[in-house]
Amino acid sequence: MSRYRRWFAALALVVPALLLGIYAAIENRPSRDGAPVLGLTLPDASGKDHALSQYRGKVVVVNFWATWCAPCREEMPEFIRAQSELGARGLQFVGIAVDDADKVERFSKELGLNYPALIGGYGAVELSKTFGNNLAALPFSIILDRKGAVVHTQLGPLKPDQLRAIVGKLL
Amino acid sequence: MACLALGVAGGTVAQPLPLAPDKAFRFEARALNPQTIEVRFSIADGYYLYRDRVHFSVEPAAIATVPALPEGKFKQDPFFGRVETYRGGVQLNIALKDTVPGQKVVVVAESQGCADVGICYPVQMQRITVALPAANVAPTRPGQPKSWLN
Repeated sequence: MSRYRRWFAALALVVPALLLGIYAAIENRPSRDGAPVLGLTLPDASGKDHALSQYRGKVVVVNFWATWCAPCREEMPEFIRAQSELGARGLQFVGIAVDDADKVERFSKELGLNYPALIGGYGAVELSKTFGNNLAALPFSIILDRKGAVVHTQLGPLKPDQLRAIVGKLL
Repeated sequence: MACLALGVAGGTVAQPLPLAPDKAFRFEARALNPQTIEVRFSIADGYYLYRDRVHFSVEPAAIATVPALPEGKFKQDPFFGRVETYRGGVQLNIALKDTVPGQKVVVVAESQGCADVGICYPVQMQRITVALPAANVAPTRPGQPKSWLN
């Protein structure tokens, strides 16, 4: 009988700990709701505000980047190509720069950016953290489906094939 | 450049998380004597700092002379041209004047770096308070390698 008591005592300790662990994991998991992103209104390099809510109903790729981030610059030409080729089917890229407006403007022109480059400043990094970018590193991308749900987030460059595969299923 | 595929909410095969910036670029400062503070970044394998984005300063600033940073390694970056970076580590001695034994000074390090896996960290500001020793005795650090710079 005392053996059963020991088992019961052990279970009484383990089960609540397990439940607490599951609860903590749920609480800390990255947000799947894209509403905080689509609710943003940020200025572009000229100071003009852009509400991301205008892209509701589209497949949206939000890319946190900076001009000082070489890997960010490396993936952007593919974003330009994808925007050009798939924009008519409902794909919309939005760049949120963790950077100064003048540098963003210069680089956007140099690259021929065909999607909005908004100025998020260093505060944008905080927003990206709620989507799992705990290291506050760049590039970081969030892909939203047409309903505004987060279907993919990625720290580090999105490879062209990977990007096409993900958005291809959503368009 | 190797690519990091860290899918947080997608179906991508997850790889180990990169290091937090304060672990990738470990900042340390210590007083060698009442007139000298040694500052250093120990940089983890696979990570690097841009030389032109590393700055050290001391508070109060009037007591310190921060010398030029040591030369880094040059590499040709497809986007930034010729860039100078530090790998392994970087170390510097800052000379102090008009200090008093036991005085506390704050050493501030500003840095910005990246990882070879294809991510970059925003500018980091780190501060360490250093108490200056009473005598000209260099502190010892157990297990300290003779040379740690790559």
